[in-house]
Amino acid sequence: MTETASPAFLDVRKAAKAFGATTVLDGVDLAVARGEFVSLLGPSGCGKTTLLRIVAGLLSSDSGAVVLDGVDISAKPPHHRDVGVVFQSYALFPHLTVAENVAFGLEARGAPKDEIRATVTRFLDLIHMSALADRSVRALSGGQQQRVAVARALAVKPKLMLLDEPFSALDRKLRETMQIELKRLLREVGTTAIFVTHDQDEALMMSDRIAVMNRGRIEQLADPATIYKRPATPFALEFVGLSTRLTGTVVEASGEGEVLIDTTHGRIRAPGRFVAGSPVLAAVRPELMAFGETAGENTIRATLSDVVFQGSRIQAHFEAPEDRPIQIESVAGIPGGAVPGAEMALSWRVADTLLYPAPAP
Amino acid sequence: MSAAAASLAPTGGQKDRVAWLAVPAVGYLAIVYALPLVFLLARSVTGPEGFTLSLFVQFFSDPYSWRVIWNTLRIGLLTTLVCLVIGFPVAIAMARAKGLMQVALLVAIILPLSIGVVVKAFAWQIVLRRDGVVSQFLVGTGIWSEPQRLLFTETGLVLGAANVFLPFMILPIYSVVKLIDPRLSEAGATLGASPLYRFRRIFLPLTLPGLVSGIAFVFSMSVSMFVIPSLLIGDRFQMLATLTGRSFLLMRNEALGSTTAVVLLVLAVSIVVASSWLAKRLGGTQ
Ligand SMILES: Nc1ncnc2c1ncn2[C@@H]1O[C@H](COP(=O)(O)OP(=O)(O)OP(=O)(O)O)[C@@H](O)[C@H]1O
Ligand SMILES: [Mg+2]
Repeated sequence: MTETASPAFLDVRKAAKAFGATTVLDGVDLAVARGEFVSLLGPSGCGKTTLLRIVAGLLSSDSGAVVLDGVDISAKPPHHRDVGVVFQSYALFPHLTVAENVAFGLEARGAPKDEIRATVTRFLDLIHMSALADRSVRALSGGQQQRVAVARALAVKPKLMLLDEPFSALDRKLRETMQIELKRLLREVGTTAIFVTHDQDEALMMSDRIAVMNRGRIEQLADPATIYKRPATPFALEFVGLSTRLTGTVVEASGEGEVLIDTTHGRIRAPGRFVAGSPVLAAVRPELMAFGETAGENTIRATLSDVVFQGSRIQAHFEAPEDRPIQIESVAGIPGGAVPGAEMALSWRVADTLLYPAPAP
Repeated sequence: MSAAAASLAPTGGQKDRVAWLAVPAVGYLAIVYALPLVFLLARSVTGPEGFTLSLFVQFFSDPYSWRVIWNTLRIGLLTTLVCLVIGFPVAIAMARAKGLMQVALLVAIILPLSIGVVVKAFAWQIVLRRDGVVSQFLVGTGIWSEPQRLLFTETGLVLGAANVFLPFMILPIYSVVKLIDPRLSEAGATLGASPLYRFRRIFLPLTLPGLVSGIAFVFSMSVSMFVIPSLLIGDRFQMLATLTGRSFLLMRNEALGSTTAVVLLVLAVSIVVASSWLAKRLGGTQ
C-alpha cells in the first residue's frame, strides 16, 4: 500500500473529543487505504478506544468528520455505518449459541435463510469451530470466544473492521496463533482493518502501517520498517524498540545537513538541521552500535554496568540516567570478556544517528 | 452467575453442613406457617363422616364462587399489568442511571416499603374520593366534566394495589438489567441491528428472568391481598382472600373459609412454581 497515491478508503479528519476538561482526541487525522491493515499503537489512555468508537459511531466526536468509501458517515448511527467491531471484552451474546452469534448480523439485516446458513457454516469452518456450533458461548475458552467475536463481525462483510486489543486476554502462545489466523481471515475476506494494540511486537509483525498515538494525537503513521528505523518523534522512538539516547547541545552546523553535538558522553555528529546552541536528543538503535572505535564515525565512552544474555545475542547496558539509556546489542558478545565497571568505547555510523529537538523535561 | 457460583461452592460434605444454617428458618416456618396450613387443609376435606371433598364440590358448583375467582384473577392480572407497564421503564432507567441518581431512585423505590399497607390504603382512600386530588385534577384538565368517585371502584383498587406492589416489579427487573453489559447492544448495533431489533433479540431475552420473577411476585401478592381491597373497594366486591377473611371473622363459616383458603393457596403456589420453573429455564440460557 502506498501512502498517498490512492484516495483514502477511510478518512478520519480532525477528529476531536473531550470529556469535560480533559482532551482525549486532539484533532486526529487518519487515512487508511482499501484492504490495508493499520495498527493503532500507543500507551494506555492515549485515546485509541475513543478513536475507534468515533469511527464506529458508538461515540460522537466534538468536531471533525469520518468519511468511509467516499461517504461522510459522521452523522450516521452505528447500525447504518457498515463498520464491524471486535470488542476487547468480546461482547458475545450470552443467551445465544456459537452459530446464533455468528448469524446475528445477517439475521438483523434480513438476509435470506439459506444464505445465512451457508455463511455461518463457512465462517465456523474458517475459525475451526464447526464442531462447537451449537454450544453456548459461555462454555468457550478465551481463544474460542475471541474467534467467535471475529467471525461474528466478519460474517456481515463490513467495509471496515475495528479490533480493540482483541488478543490482550490471551496467553503468549495462543496470541501468536491468533495473530496468524486473524491475518489469514482478513485476507480471505478482503477486509480493511484497524487494529488497536499496545504491544509493539504485535503491531510490527501484523501491520501494513502503524499509527503511533500519544496523548490524543497520531505522532507518526508509517510502515513498520520506517516506524522502527526512522521514528518521527522522541515519543515514537521511545515507545517502539530499544535505543541509546543522549542529550546534548548543537555546537556547530555544517553546510551538508550535519551537526556537531556536545553530549554528556563526548562529541558526536548527526544528520539534521539545527542552529548552534539548540538542545537536542540524539539516538541510535542498539543493534547498529559496535564495540571499539571506528574512525570517521561516532564514538563515545561509557562504563559497563550489566550484560544480559539473550540466546542469539547479548545486550550490554552502560551507566546512564534511566530516561537516557546507553545500550548495545551484539551477536559477537563482549570483546575481551570485559566485566561490569570496565570503561569501553562504543561506536556507530553518523548516518544511523537519529536526531530530535530535546523533549521538554 | 449461577454456574460460577456453583463451581466455586464447596463440594460434598461441606455443602451439606452449610445447609444446616437454614434449620432455624425452616423450624420457624414449620411452626407458624406449615402447621396451621395443615390444619386448614385438613379442615377443608373433613366432614361429619371423615374425609370428604363435598366442600369443594359445593364451592365450585356455586356460580358466586366463580365470580369471586374471576374477580381475583382479573384484579390480579390488571394490577400486574399496570405494575409491568410502569415498572419496566423505571427499572431500566434505574439500572442505567449513574452514581447519586441511581441511589436516589433506589431509595425512592425502597423507602415506601417501610410504610404499612394499611397506612397506604387509607392514603389512597383520600386520594380517590369524589373530592380527592385525582378527581379534582381530571375535572380541572377537562377530562372529566364533573367530579367522580374512584374509591370503591375496580379502577381505584387496581391503582392502589399497583402502587403498593410496584417495588416488587421494579426491583427484580432492575437487578437483572443492571447485569446486562451495555457493550452487547453496541455490538448488535455494529452488526447492523436497529434499536428495536436489539431490544427484541438482545435486551428482552436477557431481561426475561427478571420480568418473570417481577410478574410472579406482583401477581401472587395481588391475588391474595386482603387489606387493600377491604379498604379501597369494600364488601360488595369479593376476592378469594377477602372472602376467606369474611368467612372466618364475620360469618364464622370455617368450612367455607378453609375451602377458599385452599383454592387461593393452590392458585398462588402454582404461580410461584410455574414462574420459578420458567425463570430457571430462561435463566439457564443467560
Ligand atoms: N466516558 C468517558 N468519560 C470520561 N473520560 C473518559 C471516558 N472514556 C474515556 N475517557 C478517558 O479518555 C482517555 C482515553 O481513553 P481510551 O479508552 O480511548 O484510551 P485507550 O487508548 O483505549 O487506553 P487503553 O489502552 O487503556 O484501552 C482516558 O484518559 C480515559 O480516562
Ligand atoms: Mg482501550
